[in-house]
Formats: sequence, structure tokens, C-alpha cells
Amino acid sequence: MSLLSTRRPTPAVRAGKGLAVAGLLLFTLFPAYWMLVSAFDARAGRGSSFVPAEPTLDHFEFVLTEGGFDVFLRNSVVVALVTVVVSSLLALLASVAVARFRFRFRTQVLLMVLVVQMVPLEALVIPLFVQVRDLGLLEQLLGLVVVYVALALPFGIWMLRGFVAAVPVELEEAAYLDGATWGRMFRSVLFPLVAPGLVATSIFSFITAWNEFLFAMTLLGAATENYTVAIGLRSFFGQFSNQWGAIMAASTLITLPVMIFFILVQRRLASGLTAGAVKG
Amino acid sequence: MTSTTRVSAPAGRGNAPAGADRVRGRSLVARSRPWLLLAPALVVLAVLMLWPLIRVLLFSLQDYGLPQIVSGETVWIGLDNYTEVLTSAQLWQVVLPNTVGFSVLAVSCTVAFGTAVAVLLASLGTVWRTIVSSAIMAAWAMPAVTGTYVWVWIFDADRGVFNHVLQSLGLQDQAVNWFTDRWSFYAIVLINIVHHGFPFVAVTVLAGLLGVPKELLEAAEVDGAGAWRRFFSIIVPQLRQVFAVVIILSTIWDFKVFAQVFLMPGGAGTNREVLNLGVWSYVESFGQNRYGFGSAIAVLLTLMLLVVTVVYVRTILKEDEL
Repeated sequence: MSLLSTRRPTPAVRAGKGLAVAGLLLFTLFPAYWMLVSAFDARAGRGSSFVPAEPTLDHFEFVLTEGGFDVFLRNSVVVALVTVVVSSLLALLASVAVARFRFRFRTQVLLMVLVVQMVPLEALVIPLFVQVRDLGLLEQLLGLVVVYVALALPFGIWMLRGFVAAVPVELEEAAYLDGATWGRMFRSVLFPLVAPGLVATSIFSFITAWNEFLFAMTLLGAATENYTVAIGLRSFFGQFSNQWGAIMAASTLITLPVMIFFILVQRRLASGLTAGAVKG
Repeated sequence: MTSTTRVSAPAGRGNAPAGADRVRGRSLVARSRPWLLLAPALVVLAVLMLWPLIRVLLFSLQDYGLPQIVSGETVWIGLDNYTEVLTSAQLWQVVLPNTVGFSVLAVSCTVAFGTAVAVLLASLGTVWRTIVSSAIMAAWAMPAVTGTYVWVWIFDADRGVFNHVLQSLGLQDQAVNWFTDRWSFYAIVLINIVHHGFPFVAVTVLAGLLGVPKELLEAAEVDGAGAWRRFFSIIVPQLRQVFAVVIILSTIWDFKVFAQVFLMPGGAGTNREVLNLGVWSYVESFGQNRYGFGSAIAVLLTLMLLVVTVVYVRTILKEDEL
């Protein structure tokens, strides 16, 4: 039943809606579909069919062996996981501070966290390049992790703040009445209740680090063995003069984990949507 | 932020931050606890975000190139970099239109399309709404880098499917290179940005639509208001706040478009017709080793974003207390 109108739709309206849905699905899914078709087609770019003319796994095999994507994937996983662990921990502590305590400059700290998210990476990349260079961390994964932690932190604090604030204060007070110290309360009451929010925040930090391109390109320079997936893709361009099958196979490998994570988060999102529907 | 994490920050209901100090009295430990908790995050943000921001400002006042990076000496040149940027024809004829003009266009298209999709979703039954919103999630989840490569591949001059279809339909005699012309180049960027950006708008506006009281819409319908009238006279005013946030965030993201231009053929500086502020800054810095000049461009970009951000913060503050 329609939410915006109470009347029964006429056949013309129904047909128009069907057409709109079809067009929308085509537009949203075509790039992903075309990526998959090219990745699995031995004749990618030579034929013109909309299904794989010659289904094959050769592109994936090439990408993961000669293409070096096994190394790039490992690098990206390491970088993203370390980023997630460090930035989530720091964000959790900071979000407890801003959600649970009133202190001087609290509003200013929050405003800074909000504003810092808007800073363009292009403005940070020049000074951070010099800074990382001075530390001797150019072309190393550690330098990249340090930067990614900073990039993921403001959004993490902002997001976790809401989750921490949603935990009833009474639960904390009950823990104190039972004689728990602040540390014990944090471990046994607050942390388990914020855990779902922590998972969501971690997923977004993971995606940030996984997809990041500008800093990876700038800080890793020519150290091919340390490339992450986002810049590893570029190596298929000059060297093999645009092997589109290989590029699309590698793109599929990059996109897959992100899609899976989005589906995980979507459950949460969808439940929020239905909750709204019942209320409306 | 990378452009993939396009998610609205959950609005924390202002749950009175009481807790520890109320129960346990205001000992020194209790008072310094928030700062102890904040310290690690603040140190990271200070060293990796605030200090670099100050430094990019300092660099922009210097002749900062490869010799200076190596030797470490400082050559102050005042506002020369800014004078050069602001008097260059490149800025006014190419870069600014590519940045401001494009983001106005991209934001309008993204918000209009996203809203239309939200209205469509709201009018669908449960099954189809789930199917379509899953497809939208797939578009959202596509990383900017791979998404851009897929669009480049679709529009590829020699073997791209777009040229192929046009030719087999007889609409085009010879394969066209869509990346050399400034307009068709940015048309592809626009498709890419809208495809990647509309899911956030659609999901956010849909959440708002579902919150509009049904009685209002029914009353209007009984009074004979048509669908357009109901949309513009009831839904839009009710969702003003939602639209404000969506428009401002989209503006901020579309101003900073980088990978979507840089990774396209000619986008990394070889075709100077398609530079935008971000790419220009990067190309001057890391391509020409003119880090001071690039910093000046980056500072201008940051200042423009700051204006948008101030508007955004004021909107957020109106919505709920921090």
C-alpha cells in the first residue's frame, strides 16, 4: 500500500511506476553488473555481448598471481584492521567523555570534531607528506596507518557519541550503587551495551581505510610491494596497456568485501526504516 | 572522509551527560576523567589534522619546492602564491567553473534524483522496496576508485560498451573519445557522482518521508490537492531540516571530488581543461614540485568549504543541542 496516497493507483500509474523501478534498477546495477561480466569474460572488450561470451576465471588467476594482487589484498587487510582497532579504541574513549561528562570546552571539542571532518584531504596531503617524510615513514604501511587512524577518528567519535548517549544513565548508577568502580562499570556495563555501535563504526573505519586512494598513492610512492588495493589497480594501466578484464577482476575483488559489509549494516538500517513505518 | 562513508551521523538525543561525577562527588580524578579519556584522540587530531592545517597555511606563504624540502630552509614570499593563483586565467576560466559550477550541478541532480527515488520507494510495497533499496545499497557500496574505473571502461573510446551500443544503433559512425572534451568529460563525472551519491539522499529523505504524519496528507487529498501540490506544500516544508543537511553534505562532498576526476583519462593533469581545485592543487604540488603554490590553492579550497561548513554547523545546532 502506498504511503503517500490513499487512493488505489490507476493502471497508468502502476505501469509508470513499474517503468521507473526498472529504469532505476538498470541505472544502479549496471556498473556492478558490467564489472562482473568483464571480469568473468575471456573476450572482455573484444565482443559486445551483455553476458560473458567465454566464461573464465583467468582474469582472477592472473590478477592474484602475476598481477600481485595477493600482496595488495594482504596489505590492505593489515592496514584496514590496524586502523579499525586503533581508531575504534580512541573513538570509544573520546565518545564516552563527550556523551557522559559535562566539562568546560565540551561544546568546543564537539564542534572541532564536526568541523575537522570537512577538511579536504587535498589540503592535508601536502603537510602530511612532509611530516611522514620527516619521520622516515614514506613507502611504509605504518605511515599510512597513522594517517588513516586520524581520518577515521572524527566520524567514529561523532557516531559512537550517539550510541553511548543512548545507554540509560540509570544502568551506570546501579553499577555504582553495587560498589563498582568507574573502570569496572565501563567494562561490565557500558562496553557491552555500546558494542553494536562499535561494530557499525568499525565497519565504516574499515571501508575508509580500504577505499582510500589519495594518501596511499602519495605516501607509498614507488614501493610496489607495499601497495594497497586502491592503488594496486593502477598498475594494470601503463604496464599492460589497459587489460580491462584484469582491471575489472581486480575491481571485483576490491568491491566484494565492501558490499558484504554494507549488507551487514543494511540490516540495521532496514530495521530502522520499518520501525519508522509502524510509527507513521 | 572518503566519499564512500556517506552516512548521516546519528543525531544523539541530548541525554543529559551526568553519570560519574554526580554519584561519586567531584574529586580531582572524576574531574580530570573526561580529559584523560579524550587525550589520546585529541593528540592524534592535533598532530595529524590541526598542525597540518596550520602548516599548509604556512607553506602557502613560502616558495616551497623540492630544494626547500631537501635543505629544510624557509623562503618566505608573503602573498605571492595567492597573487599568482588569483590572477591566473586558469583559475577563473577553467578551475573555478569546474569546481563551483560542477558542484552546483551535481548537488542539484543528486538531491533531485535521490528525492524522486525516495518518493518512489515510499510508494512501493514491502517486497519491491526491499529489492530496490538493496540495489541502491550496491551503488552506495561501490568504492569511488573501482566505480570510476568501471565508468571509464563503459565509456572507453576503443572498446567501451557505450560507443559500441551507439554504433550498432547507427547513431554514431566512428568511435568517439568522450574524455578529451571538457563537457563530455564532466558529464561522465556527473553520472559517476550522482550514481554514487544519490543513495545517501534517497535513504535519508525516505526516513524523513515515513515520519510525515499521514493525517496531513490524507486531509490535503480530501481537500483536493494533487500529488505535486501535496509534495511541495506538505512534505517539503516538513522535511526542511532533512533537505538542509542533505544539500549541505552533498555540497561539501561534491566540492572535494578528487578520485573521480584524477583517475579518468587526462584527469591527472595532462588535460588542463578538466582540472578542478583539488586536482589542480595536487598536480601543482606533486607533479610540478611547487608545494607552496599548491598549498595556496588548497587553502582556498579549504576556505570555501569552511563557509559551507559554518552553515552546516548552524543547521545541526538548530536541530539538537550537542
